Amino acid sequence: MTTASEVLSSIQSAFPGAVIDSRVESDLRLWATIDSKKILDVCKHLSSKHSFDHYSGSAGVDWIARNEMEVVEIMASHGTHKVVAMLKVKTPRENPSVKSLTGLYWNASWYEREIWEMLGINFEGHPELYPLLLSDGLIGAWPWRKDFKGYPDLTTGERAVEITTPDGYTEYRFPPTPAEVEAGTVVVERPKYPTFQEREEMAITSDSEMIMHLGPQHAMVPGPFLLDVLVEGERVKKAFLDLGYIHKGIEKIMENRSWLQGITYTDRMCYVAALSNNECYCGAIENILGLEVPQRAQYIRVIVEELSRIQSHLIGTGEFLTLIAGVGFAPWQYMIMDREKIISLIESVTGARLTHSFVRFGGVRNDLPEGFAEQCKKVLPYMKSRTEEFIELFAQDPIYHARMENIGSISPETGKRMGCSGPVLRATGVAYDMRKEDPILVYPDLDFKVITGTRGDSADRIDVRLREILESIHIIEQCLDRIPSGPIKPEAKVPKKLPAGEAYYRVEDPRGEMGMYVISDGGANPYRVKVRGPFYATFQTLTPLLEGTYIADAVAIAGSMDGCPSESDR
Amino acid sequence: MLKRKMIKNFSWPLKIATQEIEITRLYPEKMMELPAAERGIHELDATICIGCGTCARICPNSCIEMVHYKFGSPLKNKKMQFPQIDFGRCMFCGLCVDECPVECLKMGKKVIMAGWERKDIVKGPDFLATKKFSAKEVADLEAEAKRIAAEKAAAKKAADAKKAAVAKKPGKEGEAAANGAAKKKAAAAEAKPKEGGAA
Repeated sequence: MTTASEVLSSIQSAFPGAVIDSRVESDLRLWATIDSKKILDVCKHLSSKHSFDHYSGSAGVDWIARNEMEVVEIMASHGTHKVVAMLKVKTPRENPSVKSLTGLYWNASWYEREIWEMLGINFEGHPELYPLLLSDGLIGAWPWRKDFKGYPDLTTGERAVEITTPDGYTEYRFPPTPAEVEAGTVVVERPKYPTFQEREEMAITSDSEMIMHLGPQHAMVPGPFLLDVLVEGERVKKAFLDLGYIHKGIEKIMENRSWLQGITYTDRMCYVAALSNNECYCGAIENILGLEVPQRAQYIRVIVEELSRIQSHLIGTGEFLTLIAGVGFAPWQYMIMDREKIISLIESVTGARLTHSFVRFGGVRNDLPEGFAEQCKKVLPYMKSRTEEFIELFAQDPIYHARMENIGSISPETGKRMGCSGPVLRATGVAYDMRKEDPILVYPDLDFKVITGTRGDSADRIDVRLREILESIHIIEQCLDRIPSGPIKPEAKVPKKLPAGEAYYRVEDPRGEMGMYVISDGGANPYRVKVRGPFYATFQTLTPLLEGTYIADAVAIAGSMDGCPSESDR
Repeated sequence: MLKRKMIKNFSWPLKIATQEIEITRLYPEKMMELPAAERGIHELDATICIGCGTCARICPNSCIEMVHYKFGSPLKNKKMQFPQIDFGRCMFCGLCVDECPVECLKMGKKVIMAGWERKDIVKGPDFLATKKFSAKEVADLEAEAKRIAAEKAAAKKAADAKKAAVAKKPGKEGEAAANGAAKKKAAAAEAKPKEGGAA
């Protein structure tokens, strides 16, 4: 069993002097500052010698007081060991630049693009450093830097200048305010890169090809995103994905809110998985505070999070399968009726149906109501029989088979390389589940299996989700039997200001691995909150998956990912 | 391609259609049953609100504003400031309820708050208050508050006079007198919350 200190000593012996600073938080968490020249070699060493084959994401941090920027690479392994290495690379604030890991990890691309457009850190060797979430007009403003003064400011409307273009159209321009010019947040020199449309047109090679738009409004993934496919006949030659239609800047907003207020924003990243987002944020802060959660509160959290997983899988599957009509029935209306029962159960505990704001630092908001266990004992067996019926109905449906089986197949190796997680990865047969990887809450005491598929195709993803519902029901039943009485909140009051520190906390969201990297500088607000969302990683795999498929299958492939662009846009 | 087993895929929806009764609720004629924990429109107990403004400070959307309201307790809430909530912005997160030090703010099962104009959904303490004093009770309490204030002022005056006297004639007697005045003040302060509780 590899531990964090072993990994650290291995790096130190292989690359003397490469580790500038290090901290072994526990057996499972390693924090190390690596010399920026050697980061690529260190990552290569880790992936080849210690099977760090899962690049989990990266976060950019602007340390304005120290006049430097930091890129934190989050590295983990697909089940070989449970160590998460947080490798920091420092770079000066003037012309910040670090080495890109895209050559080593395919899925580093989007994370580095995001850091580039938000913080202005250049990645040497990145093949396509184009904006991802922001509009082209905002590139160069670097909105996540700490000295960013805001855009648009409140006087934008007053400053607008009306211009008539040569074609006769009316346009509005916004000249910068004197304050903006002084602060230096104005785009003085815009980096040169082709726009999204130009990139698409560059890919067209002959007259027989054309670009087809799927989105920004399309039913296959609820939420706006642009999927353009370059088609030749019925075949997709290349796919282009553009995000950022609902970019909310939640990570930046949370820097301006108090620690407690931040909980309400985590709800709104992905409203069908609000409870696991709450859990992730509160867990990270409990790590910083060193808070122990009372047993009863832990059980309550597990119960509501598993209920939340059931309702998320039901709505995700049902909504998607309306597009994949079966013989005689589409399951949407039945699944949404069942989900109503689960939502009512959650509502009776949390008091809200979607945005729960339920988890608190070191506890939960409400205790279970009277008669909750009896209510659960009525609903859960019903859910179980219904889910089994759904599985049976899909199994004997020829139309469903024709549209779903062997469509969008991912092999285990590809799945690992692409960095996807959750049911999408588990459908390929890789048993990678945060509930087993990270011993959080009472999950280590509970008995449950990690559901895996065999083929990794669209049908398997749905099958894994449905069987996970059965497993969640099993977990809730165990919790209801074992739940002890006692307090649900910590005895001491949680302070308004947190001690300086940082933490990375992972939970298993209904869509996969959800991590939050929280930094406190000892103040009343977070210094930085980085959300490593599960669907952001899965979304990235969509473009390579679509290549070479039929247009008609694009819906089955994209929809079976159970997407939530709201969470990937944050 | 069609198999015999597949008959179930046709019969199953028909079976469910005959079983399930409630498909769509006829809202607002028929409201769904809400649990006790429901986070609906706030309920304010104006008789115990101390007007500290914690709810206004914790609100992530700054939708709470402290406004003047007549029918509260002037003994506890000296400036008579009570929360007014803009439900156009409220997201019902319940942080204000959690943070309230005297637990005077709660969230109830009322959920209908529609209005024709934006200002219609800015609800003042008059709408929120489920418990409040009548005009007569408020007048009594105000008189009480005035009496206490007058008493306090008198005590302060006396203490000042004694202090002045002590300053003129420093000695053990003066010190003892000053201590006595301080004790009196403390006693008055203790008496105050009791009166409030009785009211």
